Amino acid sequence: MKNIFLISLLLLSVSAKAETLSPEWLALGHYRPNVFGGYTASIDSDNFYLADNGRTNPQAELKATIKLFNEQKDKEKICLFQGRYLFLKKQGLIEESKIRCEEFEQFKKDLQPQGVTLLFTDAYMNNPSSLFGHTLLRIDTARKGTQLLAHGANYGAFTEGKENGALFAIYGLTGGYYGGWTVKPYYDIINTYNNIENRDIWELNLNLSDEELDMFVAHLWEIGHTQTRYYFFTKNCSYMIMEMLDAVRPSLHLADEFWLQTIPLDTVKAVYRRPDLVKDVNYRPSRQSKIIHRAKQMNKAQKKAYLAAIKDKDYNLKNLPDEQKADVLETAYQYVQYQFVKKEYDLQEYRKRSFMGLMARNRLQNQKARMSENPEGKSPLKSHESKRMTLGFGSKDGENFQEFSVRPAYHSLTDNNYGLLPGAEINFLNLKIRHYDSSQKTVLQQFNLLGIKSLSPINEMFHPISFNMGLDIARESRPDTQKEGYVFNAWVGGGAAYKPTDFLSLYFMNNLYGSYGGFLPHNQYIGIGFAGGAFVDFNRLKLLAEAEKIFATTWYGSQIRYKLEANLILTTNWGLAAEYKYNDRQKGDDEEEFMTSVRYYF
Amino acid sequence: MKKIFILSAVVASAMFAANAQAIDSTGCGLGSMAWRGQSGPVPQILAVTTNGSFGTQTFGITFGTSGCDPNGRVSGGTQKMVFNFLENNMEQYALDAARGEGETLDTIAGMLNMDKQEFAKKSQQNFAAIFPDSNVDAIFVTNKIFEIIKA
Repeated sequence: MKNIFLISLLLLSVSAKAETLSPEWLALGHYRPNVFGGYTASIDSDNFYLADNGRTNPQAELKATIKLFNEQKDKEKICLFQGRYLFLKKQGLIEESKIRCEEFEQFKKDLQPQGVTLLFTDAYMNNPSSLFGHTLLRIDTARKGTQLLAHGANYGAFTEGKENGALFAIYGLTGGYYGGWTVKPYYDIINTYNNIENRDIWELNLNLSDEELDMFVAHLWEIGHTQTRYYFFTKNCSYMIMEMLDAVRPSLHLADEFWLQTIPLDTVKAVYRRPDLVKDVNYRPSRQSKIIHRAKQMNKAQKKAYLAAIKDKDYNLKNLPDEQKADVLETAYQYVQYQFVKKEYDLQEYRKRSFMGLMARNRLQNQKARMSENPEGKSPLKSHESKRMTLGFGSKDGENFQEFSVRPAYHSLTDNNYGLLPGAEINFLNLKIRHYDSSQKTVLQQFNLLGIKSLSPINEMFHPISFNMGLDIARESRPDTQKEGYVFNAWVGGGAAYKPTDFLSLYFMNNLYGSYGGFLPHNQYIGIGFAGGAFVDFNRLKLLAEAEKIFATTWYGSQIRYKLEANLILTTNWGLAAEYKYNDRQKGDDEEEFMTSVRYYF
Repeated sequence: MKKIFILSAVVASAMFAANAQAIDSTGCGLGSMAWRGQSGPVPQILAVTTNGSFGTQTFGITFGTSGCDPNGRVSGGTQKMVFNFLENNMEQYALDAARGEGETLDTIAGMLNMDKQEFAKKSQQNFAAIFPDSNVDAIFVTNKIFEIIKA
């Protein structure tokens, strides 16, 4: 009897709560449900809360907000909570405010908002915090002209004074930085991403009503004045955008999907898959993508003239008919800009080259460029999902095994690379568990904490460095005693890649190894490895072959490793893979391993 | 304590003025955006965090102004708008003007409330006047554009 009473009381209180706490209010206050009931808001700044317990008590916060607007006294606070004002007024909970908010009015006047666009920028391999890409929002403008005059709203970590390399990662992972919003003209954002970092931008135009657009601007103003601890994998740039969009349209429930990890591309896909949210998708290629695209379309004579222009400053293009010159000159000009950003010229030399190109181009006033400047682009929205599971069957030195692996993020070279940065590999927390048949044991085979590889081809125009780094804990065995144990391995290396044809990349890498394991001879070794490899990309079929000779401080470390890997892509999220490894050891038997597996991305 | 704060503010603004002039003397022309953008959004963010303690952060639009016009030579609403745009988009405007098409021409035409085609044509035909040499700065280019559209 008592129990029934308690339960009905509980039900009553639940339904009462559900009535007063509208989803709009919860989303607007960034309230997230706690595991054991109740709510906590994600915003850390005290000035985001009016009630003393406002962060954990949405009802009290609602009352305090209604009081604030009814009293019409505290101008500073009233003018801050412009999003809440819109909501409460619409609900009929408050009267129209008489207080004028000049700063907010000016903000709106500067923006002249017309819509909202979600921006996704490609991965940037030169910065560890940009490996997974980045997202930001654009407030489209009604100004005459183009969207270059729109503004970007960026949520990022304020890293000032604490950028020091190793600490950067620690601070970034543990909330050592505060995150906050900055608003800048869109042309500044284009300059940073497209022109300086050479990252493609994808623009997803959102389908918002006028009311939702008003709320977006008002809420941006509201949370723009707050700061929140920044966590690289969870409460990051993309996560806050999810909460921001939920506040504008609570039925989206975007933030709910990202309670464990927030990978920028996953959030973009979530937005894209919501019904009636995305109007259309635009591609804004980086400067480098534009240069590559036009260079590809040039005929032999054009290519020759182009190289003469960028290498020998020969802008006469004597051997070309006039109608073929415009494309060459425009591309050469863009290339000079590219090189200047890479600091390959001083200002005077840069200006001289730019000007020669411009003058030559301007002389051909009747000629238009004939080649398209923008490639079509491979949409990252069509890329495979970022989590991966594999199930494999194989044999190691004659003993059969089954392997299960799971990887929360992100992409291996032989995975389906459609829509992702070509030649870039980021493996994060890849866990492999194996069951060996004859010894009847189930073991942790490998835990790959981090593996990053970047193969970017060197050609006449671009000279990027290819690199390789990683950390893992692996189960290894001594070839002399057959004793098994765990080894902690770290490696880092640099090299170069070449792409003689569209589907083939050849590379070499010079790697440094450091390994530690209690059962190893002398417990540890350091080594230097010379690796050469080939990556073949036939779209549906990926092949990777690599050989590496390692010289190490102990015989255990010194070896030659051979690796072959193939993946047949069945659909976007399914693949059939085969791997072969052979280690030529200095003592005991060589090691040999073969495995076939199914890869599933989810 | 307050005095120290004011003093440091004065020193800081003096440094900023000196800095602004330094930028101007190297030219706010072709290539200045590449240097400015190199540091990415960091300086703006720095400005935000040094000005405000946690929770009372300043918020608003951070314009990419660069001190290209320390003496206030560009005046007037539209002219200032075009100038602010040009000091950040000179490299692309130069190319678009030379070839007579492109996004920056459409943007400025919008600011000037002019037909896009007409502005593109004028920019291209008068390219040599707008860019007489490679060291022209954004002030010069802005003024030239206004001369040309009036002609």
